[in-house]
Amino acid sequence: MSHHVHTALDLWKIGASLLVLTFITVAVAFVHIPFPYNIVVALAIACVKAYIVATYFMNLKWDEKFNALLLVIGIVFVVIFIGIVLLDTLTREVVVPSF
Amino acid sequence: MANISSTTRPAHLQHHFVDSDQQFDSAKLGMWVFLVTEILFFGGLFAAYVIYRSWYPDLYIQASELLNTTWGAINTVVLIGSSLTVAMAIRSAQTNNNRGVYINMMITLALAVVFMVIKYFEYTHKFHLGIFPGGNFAPTGEAAEILTHPKANIFFSIYYMMTGLHGIHVVIGIGLMIWLAVKAKNNAFSAEYYTPVEVVGLYWHLVDIIWIFLFPLLYLID
Repeated sequence: MSHHVHTALDLWKIGASLLVLTFITVAVAFVHIPFPYNIVVALAIACVKAYIVATYFMNLKWDEKFNALLLVIGIVFVVIFIGIVLLDTLTREVVVPSF
Repeated sequence: MANISSTTRPAHLQHHFVDSDQQFDSAKLGMWVFLVTEILFFGGLFAAYVIYRSWYPDLYIQASELLNTTWGAINTVVLIGSSLTVAMAIRSAQTNNNRGVYINMMITLALAVVFMVIKYFEYTHKFHLGIFPGGNFAPTGEAAEILTHPKANIFFSIYYMMTGLHGIHVVIGIGLMIWLAVKAKNNAFSAEYYTPVEVVGLYWHLVDIIWIFLFPLLYLID
């Protein structure tokens, strides 16, 4: 079998890095970065955390590349979905009545 | 003619697979396809969140005052810890250590229960303040003083849908972990066969990733 086996120390390092990033994202929230950069920073940290989980905990780094491709396709379609919806909802003169 | 396959094929190997590796990779591929549907499933809720936030930015700043950042942060740490123990369980299985799988699954299970208990107290506290989803939204006392925005119920409908759907996934995860713990107790796993641990691990890490996004988007708005 050629499955990648992490050392316990590596797993602890990955977990610790995620906890550090969690601490940073909470600390940054109390700094009150001006809009819209607060959202950008919060999402950037969340993306880094998600990348670490997907790459190391979910083993995509050592896995079949097709599995990583599936994940990327899923994310791309969510981005297309939200992006195209925003093209509509952000360019309306008035918000849809009753919404 | 002797049936050699029955003596050389391991018990866990389904007849339609060539070998354990092919079976393992097929199961993982199937799990990843399922995880993509999960991403799209939650994607709809994230779209609702983004649209309403772009329409009513003040509402989100106001309403998130009623979400407790401390409990949200604790739950983030709890879920990251549980991802670590799931990864440890997979490592245990890869090293033929069923006892390690069992212990790590029980820790993961405990952390998942802690997450749900905290969520329970968060929900009941909001219900106590009259903050219900949808048409039953009727904040009282201090909540009524803070939630002056006419669309305040929309924020909490989105909050309950996103955290509720995520919570359902955690509960399903708890069930899966009990199943894995029982299997580990019966020494079902080995370096040649640990597919259930691997795919449940993938599921649990995705649940973790979704919370990684929910936490800053709901709890950390100024």
